[in-house]
Amino acid sequence: MRAREAIDVLARHRGDAVAVCALGMAANEWWAATKSEDSFYMHGAMGFAASFALGLALSLPQVPVWLINADGSLCMNLGCLLTEASQAARNLKHFVVDNGVYQTVGGLPMVNEARTDYVAIARGAGFARARSIQELDDLERQLPGIAAEDGPSFTVLRVEPESGFLRTPPMTYEGPEMKYRFGRALERRFGIEVFGPQGY
Amino acid sequence: MDVTEAIHGELTKCGVKLAASLPDDWVAPLIQRIAADNSIRHVRVAREAEAVAICSGAFFGGVRAVALMGATGLLTCTGELATLNLRHQIPVFLIVSQRGSIDDHRIYQEVQGRRTIPLLQAYDFPYHVVDRPDEIASIPDAFETCRLQKRPFVLFLTRRLVKGSAA
Repeated sequence: MRAREAIDVLARHRGDAVAVCALGMAANEWWAATKSEDSFYMHGAMGFAASFALGLALSLPQVPVWLINADGSLCMNLGCLLTEASQAARNLKHFVVDNGVYQTVGGLPMVNEARTDYVAIARGAGFARARSIQELDDLERQLPGIAAEDGPSFTVLRVEPESGFLRTPPMTYEGPEMKYRFGRALERRFGIEVFGPQGY
Repeated sequence: MDVTEAIHGELTKCGVKLAASLPDDWVAPLIQRIAADNSIRHVRVAREAEAVAICSGAFFGGVRAVALMGATGLLTCTGELATLNLRHQIPVFLIVSQRGSIDDHRIYQEVQGRRTIPLLQAYDFPYHVVDRPDEIASIPDAFETCRLQKRPFVLFLTRRLVKGSAA
């Protein structure tokens, strides 16, 4: 399956989930599929969308949080799996778009390309629910169950690398504006106070 | 005055409900005290930048958070502090041991002592040094300044504060 197809399936099944996207391809494709303001799109801190999603999930334990990670970002911070497993947030689902390359910079190969078993790494870190999916119809079939099961779970979406640059444009507003749109969206949806009475 | 008890009390006044930590020996007693408080969700991390990003995510859940680490750990997460917290103007409150001070006779801490504050100044990250027990009461003001300035704020704990003047 292709990354866009896999992301489209996730977007259709997200339900009420709040999403956190790793920078680059994951964020750009999620924006293209959802145009959602109740999603956080990382601009930097490669590898740490996972930690950001964990902090959000622990803070809103009744809200499903979906992490749309990518293999390059996961490898930048594999230790996140230890922390996620130890915290055992039931509302956190970790998806990894795995194409074996650094797609955003033109498809250069990942370290240890095609020989790394991320599911085995996640299980070794303490995830009880970890699987890899590489066919689109299989993803369609499994995703309702993944969405309904208790987290933390870890799902690798094995997709084909694209040739060259993936040209999906990034979201159309930048850092501080995205902060306020995301925070205000969560305030409206969940009745929480992210910003104080003076707006900061 | 028990210093860790006093800092813990001020963090409680700030409304802190989540703490993410990776210890060095100066902040370890404070981390252990916070870990024993059931009203604060404590997250042990494998790398200090995880603590930064966890606290940043907690901010959007409306939860006040603190990251605890040593000075060496702070140096490891300057990239994430810049490209996550500066980029998006997300406040994150860090409590950090001020290693490499003139009374910290550890050769492996001397660079941290010389270069950490100039590095924070280069990034324009505000900081505040707590050197005496009676200055611990400044923590709520520091926490509010962090939120108001919408960026990383480092509260340094000195050796004299955490180890005592006789240590």
